[in-house]
Amino acid sequence: MSATLAPALSPAGEKLKSRLAASPVGQRAEVRDLDLPTLEVAPSDWPALARLLRDGPECRYDLFLDMAGVDNLKRTGQKTRFEAVVHLHSLANNEHLRVKVLLPDGAPPALPSVQDVWPAANWFEREAFDLFGFDFPGHPNLRRILCHDAFVGHALRKDYAPGQRWFAAEEDLKMPAWAAETETRAGHFETQTLSIGPSHPATHGIIHLIARLDGERITRAETQIGYLHRCFEKMSETHTWNGVIPYADRLNYVSAMINGVGYVKAVEEMLGVAIPERGVLVRTILSEFSRIMDHCVNIGTNLVDIGALTNFWYLYQPRETIYGLIEACCGARLTVSYVRVGGLAIDVPEDFVPRCRALLESIPKFLDDVDRLVTNNRIVRNRFQGTGVVTKEEAIAWGLTGPMLRASGVPYDVRRAHPYDFYDRFDWDVPVASDGDNFSRYLVRMEEMRQSLKIIRQALEILPEKGPVNSDDWHVVLPPKDAVYHDMESLIYHFKLIMEGIRVPKGERYERVEGANGELGFYAISEGGGGPYRLKVRPPCFPNMAAFEKIIVGATISDAVATLGTLNIIAGELDR
Amino acid sequence: MSGVVDVTLRTPKKMTLAQRLYLPEILAGMGVTIRHFLRNLVAIRRLPTILYPEEKRDYSGRFRGKHILKTREDGTLKCVACYMCAQVCPAECITIVAGEHPKIAYEKYPVVFDIDMLRFVFCGFCVDAFPKDAIWMSRNYEMAFFNRQEAIFGIDKLIEKPGVPVKDGYGYRPYYPGDGTVPPADASTTPVIPGDGERATLREEGRLPAYR
Repeated sequence: MSATLAPALSPAGEKLKSRLAASPVGQRAEVRDLDLPTLEVAPSDWPALARLLRDGPECRYDLFLDMAGVDNLKRTGQKTRFEAVVHLHSLANNEHLRVKVLLPDGAPPALPSVQDVWPAANWFEREAFDLFGFDFPGHPNLRRILCHDAFVGHALRKDYAPGQRWFAAEEDLKMPAWAAETETRAGHFETQTLSIGPSHPATHGIIHLIARLDGERITRAETQIGYLHRCFEKMSETHTWNGVIPYADRLNYVSAMINGVGYVKAVEEMLGVAIPERGVLVRTILSEFSRIMDHCVNIGTNLVDIGALTNFWYLYQPRETIYGLIEACCGARLTVSYVRVGGLAIDVPEDFVPRCRALLESIPKFLDDVDRLVTNNRIVRNRFQGTGVVTKEEAIAWGLTGPMLRASGVPYDVRRAHPYDFYDRFDWDVPVASDGDNFSRYLVRMEEMRQSLKIIRQALEILPEKGPVNSDDWHVVLPPKDAVYHDMESLIYHFKLIMEGIRVPKGERYERVEGANGELGFYAISEGGGGPYRLKVRPPCFPNMAAFEKIIVGATISDAVATLGTLNIIAGELDR
Repeated sequence: MSGVVDVTLRTPKKMTLAQRLYLPEILAGMGVTIRHFLRNLVAIRRLPTILYPEEKRDYSGRFRGKHILKTREDGTLKCVACYMCAQVCPAECITIVAGEHPKIAYEKYPVVFDIDMLRFVFCGFCVDAFPKDAIWMSRNYEMAFFNRQEAIFGIDKLIEKPGVPVKDGYGYRPYYPGDGTVPPADASTTPVIPGDGERATLREEGRLPAYR
């Protein structure tokens, strides 16, 4: 009788169970089937399980993607109040895995640090410490990361009132302890500590880099972030599912469209709503254009930092034209708010396809110009080649994704590894490079823009000329205005959607898309209300920035500036 | 689907002699910039830069700028103070105080309709939310203030004045000419219902329910 109560596991769950069966720690972990195979473990088992998951011959979950704290205070049917939810990826098996570390009630929430297993966990654990107050015994530098040091309480706990503000005076902003120390080595001058930023032209945002210098070489560095922190995740908990979209735009504001697409995908998957082909393809086309813009900005500003100003203008010209196209579709250039759960805000304008085709004609010319100016230029080569090197092993250990990971020789692209939308229908290549230096990252981005053009060209071929862009499920999508004005039934649907929000069934979902700078993941939990119970975004540039202080050790200040440019840091997404 | 392309193979790591000599590459680079320069010189009218503020970018009819409160033919606001825009606003920038209009056909009207332009995020959700075609957006994006009080726009700054063209033209709106949408009937042209304008009197006489 009792045996039949446990639901049978899916094939993926069974496979995971059999992989873990060999070890006692693996046997103790409970396997559950959610949208991803999910493991539940106690904190005491977590480090051993982490090693098994990373090193186990069949597991090989080597890429640490994300750690999300969850507070189950107002959630029903959960085992403990706090849990730390970790998302992992296995490059060898091309599989995602979720691990929930259940933190027992009755004791202060704590779990052992796994930053010695996956170095990428370092900053994610600091984030969970900051926003949830989880303690991580064994963590070398457990300090607040997004909130300032004068902040009281932990913002993402459910008993923290969203409106509270804390003021940080200048004396509250602490430098790391080592910044006051000096090192002396035989034959060297005394070291000095240099503070670059928070507001410095090379940081392209507000980022504080503290570097200890021996002459011009950096011997130790630490970055302090969080200057643009506004707690996107807390704000999304107080909004409806659709109301989060303008906030999501402001994560990676250089390619805002991709954020919106990633976010609504998570919600749509939970709802099980299908989007018409035309709507999906318009999303794809504009996402790929956004990727081109993002790479244009990245390469352009990066080259400005090393003194090549002209390219900036050549790359910003196509970007302006793309912004014109996006504005014609949705009415804003930067913060697009174009997608909605279930489709798009409005159909594309009539001249959409000709405008896209004109862009496809013009963009390669600018890319060729930049290519001619930069790629074989000896000054650029000398500045880029061999600087900011990230080896393949380091890139994986540090949790890098996107062009950073591909430039180190790992061909992991979400669009290829986990094809969403119609990416499996298109013929395109994943650009990789083998050196892992700044020059490789530049080359990968240049090629990616060309591949994006290739995708757009094919998407335009199969784009239906006419047809709906929205789902016709009026529990999700607002009915057409004509119906709202004249039909009582539609007005009721309209009213319910606006006042209460979309009713998303209970559950959780991790959806990822390939953002312009890496894997952009949204982990959403719904309790059946009109808005998210918890929304965690996996910001691709967060691990990139965490790796920065390790990449630049041994480099000069000027190389550090060039390297920072190739990481593609967007402060809006980094600090959330 | 297709394969993986290694970009480092295409660009040899080792520079050729010509590349190492600086000069040929510099000349090639100057060729690119001079070509751009000459093209801009010949087609000076088609320069990609815009001489703002003398010249302005031509935005589409979907541009999300400052709001406009639409009016009926008799100049009253179409808004019926249903609070749907205030509810849907992600930035919580709309403040409405509702009042009961003397004319029954108009139902409610906003006594106060304030938009805090410093909180406003240009998302256009309010336009989507309105059931009565009451709020549109203009293409006006030039809003600057000297203090925070000035940034709160009331009805007087938002209302569309009859006969006065909207600054920079209409932007994002619930329907566009030619998309087949029939706007809701204008309540000011509906026949006068007996007793219209006499609510207060009717209530005193007990012919209308009292306020709760």
